[in-house]
Amino acid sequence: MASVLLLSGSPAEQSRTTAVLGVVAERLRAATHSAHVLRIRDVPAADLLAARTSTPAVAATVDAVRAADALVVGTPIYKAAYSGLLKAFLDVLPEKALAGKAVLPIATGGTLAHLLAVDYALRPVLTALRAPHVLPGFFVLDRTVHIGQTGRAELDQDTARGLDASVDAFVTALPVRPSLARAS
Amino acid sequence: MSTDTPRGADLGPRRRILVVSAGLREPSSTRLLADRLSSAAVTSLSAQGIAADVEVVELREYAHDLADHLLTGFPNARLRPALDALGTADAVIAVTPIFNASYSGLFKTYFDLVEPDTLADRPVLLGATGGTGRHSLALEHALRPMFSYLHAVVVPTAVYAATEDWGVSGNGTGLVSRIDRAATELAALVATREPAAPADPFAGTASFEDLLRR
Repeated sequence: MASVLLLSGSPAEQSRTTAVLGVVAERLRAATHSAHVLRIRDVPAADLLAARTSTPAVAATVDAVRAADALVVGTPIYKAAYSGLLKAFLDVLPEKALAGKAVLPIATGGTLAHLLAVDYALRPVLTALRAPHVLPGFFVLDRTVHIGQTGRAELDQDTARGLDASVDAFVTALPVRPSLARAS
Repeated sequence: MSTDTPRGADLGPRRRILVVSAGLREPSSTRLLADRLSSAAVTSLSAQGIAADVEVVELREYAHDLADHLLTGFPNARLRPALDALGTADAVIAVTPIFNASYSGLFKTYFDLVEPDTLADRPVLLGATGGTGRHSLALEHALRPMFSYLHAVVVPTAVYAATEDWGVSGNGTGLVSRIDRAATELAALVATREPAAPADPFAGTASFEDLLRR
């Protein structure tokens, strides 16, 4: 069992990005992994923007990244790239913070014309943080996500199928914990 | 019209250069680069008989206001002028530190909050700072695409300053010549354009006397 942190870079309270990460978390739990969704909007943004790493809320979030075996990084596409809020968080991480961790990038956007933002904007940043394995990202078209009363996302069939395939590939990249490896 | 006004830099309308600096510390090498770029641009414009004023938005000072905007969905009274200034500038000089091979989150957040057409057709000069020169291509791979999306007219020369560049002195070497080249390109773009917005809203209005002669 691996411990996966799902980071949402959306500043919105009602967010498709966060809702899609909720679906991914369910899939991961079904595959017996632990999954925790963290909304960066819940970390004081002024501290992130000013790169104040020593405040308790920022430090706790940085610790959560450190403790995770793998990450799912979700972002809305703004101005043809990841959100500034996501970047403000990635900026406060220590050097090589993603070393040894598999990362699945997920982006949501209004037009497929911005699909390449995953590979051209987000991937290089994850690579700079030394993620050894950034899986092929998944782009979710806004209009294929429907958020219900409970905040849970219903996905159109094609999106659900594509997302499942991405999560499957991610799961095969998750580490088997040394303790479990020794026990088996 | 008076004819004894000396022809020179103060003849035409003054232009406004807006500097957006995303340095996190004080003093910051990002601000230092921004100041070098803006003074080179003013010099270059002045050589063409165009006077210009420089206005600086230090994004660090707006961290709280940007955070509020992200959560509330609208700019507060303090932030609004800092966002509106982009739309009335004749040229923009945007400078960010490079973190993780890209612009900083502070820099991106500010531009995330800019209305889509604010920078359309506006001359922009891009600058970035970093500890070493290893990430200088972030200017071309991260900054330039975002400004293309915003329909800005970005000058061909972008300026990256690594820590070691600041020690080099003398004309025609490295950073200094790059700053001059970029500033000349920006000035050339500004010179061919009509002033973005007259500081005096009635400055462009013909006098009643002039109207009667038409």
